[in-house]
Amino acid sequence: MNPIIEVKNFTKRYGKFTAVDNISFDVAEGSIFAFLGPNGAGKSTTINTLCTIFEKTEGILRIDGKDVSTQKSEVRRAIGVVFQDSTLDKKMTVEENLKMHCVFYSVPKSEVNERISFVLELVELSEWRKKRVSALSGGMKRRVEIARGLIHYPKVLFLDEPTTGLDPQTRAHIWEYIVKLQKEKNITMFLTTHYMDEAEICNQVAIMDGGKIVANDTPFALKKQYTKDRAYITTERPEELERLLHTYNLDYIKKPKYYRVDACNIPTLLQVLGEQKDVITDLELKKGTLNDVFLEITGKEIREGTKS
Amino acid sequence: MKTVLALCMRNLKEFVRNRTRLIFSIIFPFFFIYVFSAIFRNDYIENPISHMLAGIAIATVFDFSLRISSTTIDDMASGFMKEVLVSPVSRLSVAGGQFLSSAVIGTMQGLLIIIIGFFIGFRITTPLTIIYMILAMIFVGFVFAGFGLFLATNTKSTQTFQVISVAITMPMTFLSGAYIPLEHLPPTLTYISYINPLTYAVALFRTISLERLATPQSQLIAEELAFEIGGFVVTPWISALFLLGFGALFLLLSTISFARTDFSKVSRGAGEQIDW
Repeated sequence: MNPIIEVKNFTKRYGKFTAVDNISFDVAEGSIFAFLGPNGAGKSTTINTLCTIFEKTEGILRIDGKDVSTQKSEVRRAIGVVFQDSTLDKKMTVEENLKMHCVFYSVPKSEVNERISFVLELVELSEWRKKRVSALSGGMKRRVEIARGLIHYPKVLFLDEPTTGLDPQTRAHIWEYIVKLQKEKNITMFLTTHYMDEAEICNQVAIMDGGKIVANDTPFALKKQYTKDRAYITTERPEELERLLHTYNLDYIKKPKYYRVDACNIPTLLQVLGEQKDVITDLELKKGTLNDVFLEITGKEIREGTKS
Repeated sequence: MKTVLALCMRNLKEFVRNRTRLIFSIIFPFFFIYVFSAIFRNDYIENPISHMLAGIAIATVFDFSLRISSTTIDDMASGFMKEVLVSPVSRLSVAGGQFLSSAVIGTMQGLLIIIIGFFIGFRITTPLTIIYMILAMIFVGFVFAGFGLFLATNTKSTQTFQVISVAITMPMTFLSGAYIPLEHLPPTLTYISYINPLTYAVALFRTISLERLATPQSQLIAEELAFEIGGFVVTPWISALFLLGFGALFLLLSTISFARTDFSKVSRGAGEQIDW
């Protein structure tokens, strides 16, 4: 597949401070691409430059083959953006917001009503069409923004922390819409998020730290490379377990109440467990998560709820 | 052009929906007419009511067009402007929509005062005059919409803007002859009023609404419809030219600074940081 977003040697400086330092990446058409990184890593700068809000310092950035610096109008037509902070016109109704958007993006007048119904149905807000935005809850506002970002049928939808500050149920819903859109409409999703578990469903994850991309792969490959599956074992006969672990050459760490054992070799682990089956009191097998990947790479935990 | 109209409609709707502001902007003219008719009552001027009304009407156009045009700063702070700016719409038409709605709302307010005026003794001899008046109000509306947007785009937060707009509009209004005749001002302030563009807007609009376009110069000067500055007589037509220049300059400047403004840095709060 052709990359819909191409970034080559992109650098952005604010005076002497380098916010983004010579990064390159591609995003395949129709995929979900997640950008992770601690606060101040340069994610927002990158997203804002791709959305034609900021001017790059150096490098080439293209969306759908169009240059973000010299073909701004074409790029703007090809993208939809859902910002971290609400950009809805709060004094107007949902419908008026969507209509205004249609004017901005020159949606043919005959299609406007139909498209509004379609996107509102998609985010399940049809009955809120005539309501003022100020009367909507935070989650509903986000859904209206997603609807608005889609109404001009963009090729890429940028979502800057689409689920931050929302309750778990609403977050799950938002992800449903995102996946549905990707599958049904083949819209490329470019998003940043603080929630590692959410990034798991993405096709590709890039981790940014200190203005550089430090890892860029599928969630599966990242986990495989940076994390280990681990078994947490509590036993009545610790000495015997230790001896077995030595014999089978399994790495472990002894903790006061349990043993943390590397579970990269499942058959061997099963043999150890088999010999201990009558004395094991507790067993937990933990798969590596993207959060572990993140910690491993950046050495810091993602802080939730703050701006990045 | 569609965008200009759509944005203009949006601003008009917003103006009408803000109930408190709407009620006050309807009450406001009554208040002003009441207070200032007392000041002008014992004046030397031939038709004090018309004289006063014309002044209040044009000062109202000034005030409203300036303030509406600066609602941009609220939109920037509320985030809506960001949505506009990532759309393929040109910033020029965004500025255009702002100017148009300012001029329209300003003119409607001015017209409201004129209509009230007809009930308390404002008279014109030909209906053409009212058309000229409306045209003049639209013109003045555009002139100060440019000025308002210029102030708004050069101010980074709503609070700062409030302070600046009061600090600029108050003296401009009171040193323009709209409410208080210039001859009542101390000489130093009179000179300041000569560099005040609103002074010329007031003179031009009064000349039109009092139907004095054919009046001899000396009479115009006596009624403060024309000014003699260092031997040079500023007739109402020169006033119009002066306004045109001022308006064109600020429409241009504000459009340029609007196109250049980095809206990501505008915030409602004072100390908020820029984020990368």
